[in-house]
Amino acid sequence: MSKHYTIAILGAGPGGYIAALKAAQMGARVVLVEKDHLGGTCLNNGCIPSKAILGSAELMHRIQHAAAMGLEVPAGTVANWGKIQARKDKILQTLRAGIKGLLGARKATVLLGCATLAGAGRVVVSGAAGVLEEFTADKIILAVGSVPSRIPGWPTDTRVVCTSDEALHWQTLPRKLLIVGGGVIGCEFACMMQPLGVEVTMVEMLPQILPNLDGQVAQTLRKILVARGIRIFTGVKIESLALGGAGAVAKLGNGESLETDRVLVATGRRPNTADIGLETIGLTTERGFIRVNDRMETVLKDYYCIGDANGRCLLAHAASAHGVVAVENALGQGHEFKAPIPNAVYTFPEVGTVGLTAEEAQAQGFPVAVGNFPLSFLGKALAVNDPEGFVKVVRNRETGRLLGVHMIGHNATECIAAAGALLHQQVSVQDIAETVFAHPTISEGIKEAAEDALAMGLHLPPRKFLQVTAGVE
Amino acid sequence: MPTLTLPPVGKTASKATILRWRKLAEQVVRKGEILLEVETDEGLAVIESAMDGIIKEVLAPAGRTISIGAPLAVIEGVANQSATQPIKQKSIPVTKTTISTGKVIPILMPKAGQSVEEGVIVKWHVQPGAMIKKGEIIFEIETDKATIEVEATDSGRLARIVAGEGASSPVLQPVAYLADNEADVDAFIAASSTSPASPAAAPAAPVEAAEKPSVELAPPAAAIGTGRIKASPAARKLAAERGVNLATVARGSGPGGRILSTDIPATGTPKPGLAAAEPVAAGELPAGAIRKRMSGMRKAIARNLTLSKTTIPHWYLRARINAGPMMAFYKSQKAKVGCSVNDIIVMASARAIMDFPAMHSRVDGESVIEFSGANIGIAVGMDDGLVVPVVMNAEQLTLAQLAVETKRLANQARAGRIENMGQGIFTISNLGMYGVDEFVAIINPPEAAILAVGAVREDVIVKDGALKAGQTLHLTLSADHRLIDGTLGAQFMARLKALLENPLQLIA
Repeated sequence: MSKHYTIAILGAGPGGYIAALKAAQMGARVVLVEKDHLGGTCLNNGCIPSKAILGSAELMHRIQHAAAMGLEVPAGTVANWGKIQARKDKILQTLRAGIKGLLGARKATVLLGCATLAGAGRVVVSGAAGVLEEFTADKIILAVGSVPSRIPGWPTDTRVVCTSDEALHWQTLPRKLLIVGGGVIGCEFACMMQPLGVEVTMVEMLPQILPNLDGQVAQTLRKILVARGIRIFTGVKIESLALGGAGAVAKLGNGESLETDRVLVATGRRPNTADIGLETIGLTTERGFIRVNDRMETVLKDYYCIGDANGRCLLAHAASAHGVVAVENALGQGHEFKAPIPNAVYTFPEVGTVGLTAEEAQAQGFPVAVGNFPLSFLGKALAVNDPEGFVKVVRNRETGRLLGVHMIGHNATECIAAAGALLHQQVSVQDIAETVFAHPTISEGIKEAAEDALAMGLHLPPRKFLQVTAGVE
Repeated sequence: MPTLTLPPVGKTASKATILRWRKLAEQVVRKGEILLEVETDEGLAVIESAMDGIIKEVLAPAGRTISIGAPLAVIEGVANQSATQPIKQKSIPVTKTTISTGKVIPILMPKAGQSVEEGVIVKWHVQPGAMIKKGEIIFEIETDKATIEVEATDSGRLARIVAGEGASSPVLQPVAYLADNEADVDAFIAASSTSPASPAAAPAAPVEAAEKPSVELAPPAAAIGTGRIKASPAARKLAAERGVNLATVARGSGPGGRILSTDIPATGTPKPGLAAAEPVAAGELPAGAIRKRMSGMRKAIARNLTLSKTTIPHWYLRARINAGPMMAFYKSQKAKVGCSVNDIIVMASARAIMDFPAMHSRVDGESVIEFSGANIGIAVGMDDGLVVPVVMNAEQLTLAQLAVETKRLANQARAGRIENMGQGIFTISNLGMYGVDEFVAIINPPEAAILAVGAVREDVIVKDGALKAGQTLHLTLSADHRLIDGTLGAQFMARLKALLENPLQLIA
């Protein structure tokens, strides 16, 4: 007779392993199945390895600009890619061990193998040698994640045409790199590769890089990257790509022909739902994504889907938050997921945003007022030689409520946490203006922008007011 | 008092949000000075004052979004002529004489409105023997519509006052004379009273001129810095109580000579007219009793309510409301829209009224006029009586709109402008704030009913046989039985009760 669990979780990424820890914490008998490494994309092929390499790359960038801070660094500082990779791998091992330890401490069962749904409440786990285990569960949480998209018709040689999965583990650096797609992954890789001596060209089909973020943020980042020598094309399609020359040759929509050593395809991610046996339970998908409600419930009773696979927001922290909500609902302590999810882009300078952009707020019918504060006015930004960037605060003019904060600048991904907390508490922009922020910090910019949104900033020249005379009755 | 309103801001914006006020209540503002900051779809704007004055009340606090034309603040002061909006006339020039001979110029009781036949002099600002200048305010009159300051149209020596304070005089009759000496005045009076030809001698044109001032805009009587007396509100109140004319206080001790309450002398002459007793006939009064003249407003109240009580067959019904839900609703809405309890009662009444055609009707002779909307009168108490401005089509207003409108109407009424008078079908009179449990009101003719609202009290509520502490409110309806029978009245009260006890229906 097969084993039975209260909750089974398929996939041990930041959604699945958090869900398993939560279920165990709540006293449920839980099983977590993972076909690769614990930690999923985030820890193994995403957030963590990229940040580890970006850590090295940013230090390199700072060394290259050390003279501006009065440091006479001897010439000849060299990036050793092999050692950068080894450092990264060590970080991954440490964190995987950490997750394993946490799961063990909570006595969650972890099965390594490929899980397949096999009819109502039933899951089969198989390995290279065939079926390893079969079990049943009251509730099943699908946390199967996503994989990088590839472009149909392009060469499949992953030594030349890569995705982030391969690029984060390259043995050597290319001399020239073509990045296809100017989204978060594309921008982070461009930023990472340039100080390491790679000649980077980035091509985005849409009119702006970071197409889903505030236009002014994207514009600012673009200027900074271009100033560093990164070539950026927007509104340009790649008509064709073929292997040849040193690696590959791309024909751009603007007629230009680009020769490159390697290509990084960073055009998005697709859900990993094709081979998990959804047909055995009759669950359908939309473009591969499994639709859920705010309680993370699928249309099928007792089945939940969290993280990238539900298509709501392809970010690790969203998946973790989904995981907690799904478990709480599965165990009858339900609530709906409503919290705002911040965006973090680990370029240098960083980008942090949360909530609605001014354009989105307007499109949703809100009366909008915007405040803006350049970081070049902040002592801290000058002190750390990162004067670029700004904070933008979006406010509902009639209710005064904070609708969104968008910033680019030093430590923006850290600063945005404060904005996310404020947004979640549904504060007014007046509340932010009345809050005392430590000085000198970058996060002060949030307060300054809030004051500007109320036309009461003190560190900015006075705002322009139209002058009209009151009527009299 | 005039109300400052939100002007068009920018090209397309239909409303604006108040960002902050740069001026506060009781602050002096000058024309062109910036009062407040607003935001619209088009951006930021500052609103400057259209006139000199003192901000008496801010009607649109920071954070509120209002439409173009909505009230911003009540301002006390003198409207400047260059403002685009029509300005309520605050003073009118004295009517020029049509029979002027030699050195004697009679000062006439002005005709301050088409239907005004007589005026009562409430105050003389100048004493006999004083030299007066053209444009100077020389006396105040009260008609059944308003109190008006009257300016001199000629300069000269005030030789004699023939209609003293408290005296009533027909319009266009002399109330005083300008002359160099008393003898000339005597001669002038003798000549005009013995000359039957004097009316005929008056040519047509001067008569026309005599009518004119009632519609002409006069220049401002006084402005800050030029003639206006700077005094704190507390000083003004104390001066009125002590009968002190602020003009007689040489210089105040406040900033720029502003008169403060400490500058008001302990005694003055009792203020004649409305505020204090003025014996008008020494007749046969009991010892200590005094006789006072009825003000124009009192006369109007007396006339209307006597007509009502003697011609309308009143009948009454009373309902006790469980006021707990209404008060909870009030607390939640007050924060959002700044409404009063009365606004909620007005809103519920408007809804209930629209459910019964007879409730939005009134008797006109032997016919009945059914109105299309619930035009509800709001009784506004004043120092010397009450007035009833009317909220038009109250059933179409949201609670937020109603709150703004009732406040605006009350402010307008206190400033002497009673809006939509005579267009009501129903009046609400609320004495709850004075702690009155319940009372019975007299219908405001020609309306068909009036609702008397008492205080919300802690009370015992019996529910399912159990006693429970709660809050109650008594409503008493006075209805015109020619229109509203017992069943209908009872159904209306039941509907009103249901709405007030389930107030969420009002915003559903």
